Amino acid sequence: MVSLMETRSAKELSEIPVDPSAVRRPARATMSPGQLAGRFWRARWFVVLRAFAVFIALWWGVSAWVSSPIQMPTPAKVFDAFLGLASSGELFQHIWISTQRLLVALVVATTIAVPLGFFMALNREANAFIDPLVELLRPISGIAWIPLGLFIFGVGGTLPVFIMAYVAFFPLLLNTVDGVKGIDRKLLAAAETMGVSRRARLTHIAVPAALPSVMVGFRIAFASAWAAIIAAELIGSPSGLGFAIEWYRQLLMSPKVFAFIMTIGAVGYLCDLGLRALQRKLTPWAEGTGIGQ
Amino acid sequence: MTTATHRFSITSLPPAVKAVTLPILLILAWQAWTLTLPENSPAPAPAKVVASFLALTASGDLIWSTLQSLGRVIAGFAIAMVCGISLGVLMGSSKAVRENLDPIVESFRPIAPMAILPIAILWFGTGTPAALTIVAYAAFFPLLVNTVYGVSRVDRQLVRAAQTMGIGRLRTVLAVIVPAAVPSVLLGSRLAMGVAWTAIIAAELAVGAKSGSGGSGGIGNMMFIFYAYSVDLNGIVVCMIVVGVIALLIDRLFRAAETRLLPWRT
Repeated sequence: MVSLMETRSAKELSEIPVDPSAVRRPARATMSPGQLAGRFWRARWFVVLRAFAVFIALWWGVSAWVSSPIQMPTPAKVFDAFLGLASSGELFQHIWISTQRLLVALVVATTIAVPLGFFMALNREANAFIDPLVELLRPISGIAWIPLGLFIFGVGGTLPVFIMAYVAFFPLLLNTVDGVKGIDRKLLAAAETMGVSRRARLTHIAVPAALPSVMVGFRIAFASAWAAIIAAELIGSPSGLGFAIEWYRQLLMSPKVFAFIMTIGAVGYLCDLGLRALQRKLTPWAEGTGIGQ
Repeated sequence: MTTATHRFSITSLPPAVKAVTLPILLILAWQAWTLTLPENSPAPAPAKVVASFLALTASGDLIWSTLQSLGRVIAGFAIAMVCGISLGVLMGSSKAVRENLDPIVESFRPIAPMAILPIAILWFGTGTPAALTIVAYAAFFPLLVNTVYGVSRVDRQLVRAAQTMGIGRLRTVLAVIVPAAVPSVLLGSRLAMGVAWTAIIAAELAVGAKSGSGGSGGIGNMMFIFYAYSVDLNGIVVCMIVVGVIALLIDRLFRAAETRLLPWRT
């Protein structure tokens, strides 16, 4: 958001100094070329562009120095491979397969974890029984389930979904429990005093109060699931982004490997951006949307 | 929760009993289920898992593999610590460095450690260096991000006071900024060690899966051999439990270090 706004102001700055509306901002209109250049030099979008330019230049230098196209393809080759994969549709095919699995896994994890979280948080007795089991399973990372999952589900599309749903389950559950436990008791007591039904208390007080925490849990769940899918597909799936990077590694087609790795990063980044927007939209009352990790 | 037919209510049970009830019930159900299977079924059973654990411990395989994985995690973590903390201090204390490096760091951060594996194999082959790369990469980001956060939040008054007293820039960083950032760095270390342990299992599994029988050892590789060659699911479950226990121990160790080193924080 911030960078977008700043981009716009920098654009205005360079394009419309003679615009009548600029009269209202004499400071900008009368800026000396030196000041203008300084502002331009510090503009956020320019800093980002510059950083990437330096990075790509360094990459080019390293690839020239290594001079092994398999170990270190040049940025141009990677870009070429990226365009080729995109125009043949292969790229989007793998993205689609992976995101589909991700969606299924997140839906499964959410439908189990969120109601269970509410149940555990509102029912102390149930919590005393279930929480220890959760804490026993939680340290076993999703990755460690891959060999057993491979045996149960075989190589295919189910294994990544299972691993991701497992990985996404814990942050969702724990954040839901936290969110529900953090509800202001006075609100619930007040509603109870006024004779609000149990169901209405749940939907009008507990759910909105816990939603910010659930959303944070969802973002963490997404991030860990997106990391896990690469491992799961790489080891035990004949399709998807994780499969693609390893497949082209075996074929020694490094530019495609690099292109797919960049795609993994880009898709992950864009999804998180979308989730952040969703978070702001759904829970505008939440203070601070940053998460510790 | 209370049932009228019982003389004891469930709620009056001691917490420890409540805690173990569900796990024990599940294990019993699991054992009962496996008893219905034919004798030569590969399905893991609790009793067989225990026997497998004893056998693997007695032969030393399990301990050796675990130590090998742990050694890699510690080495990779050390690399990440050197890079992550030094870069973090640099980025945290200088706005210019932070602004210029942030876009690069942020674009690498969403790339999962496992996505780097093909490159690591291309560069270093399927041995320990590839695994170390994955671990160091995984641990690098939590360390870096938390160091930057800790350093950039150091009380400006302290920094100014140090400057007023004529202390040089380097000494200010070492004597004021770094100690003040320690809580954040420790938190970053704990998170980093957690992801590093997950990453080593993933890396060893995948390297084992992709290099045939010539894997490079470690508990992840052991799991893959159990899956692909000896079809020993009990062994896999033993490894899973060991992985979980180690993860728990690592977490507890770092939490203990936090309370020990930072007693003013609870």
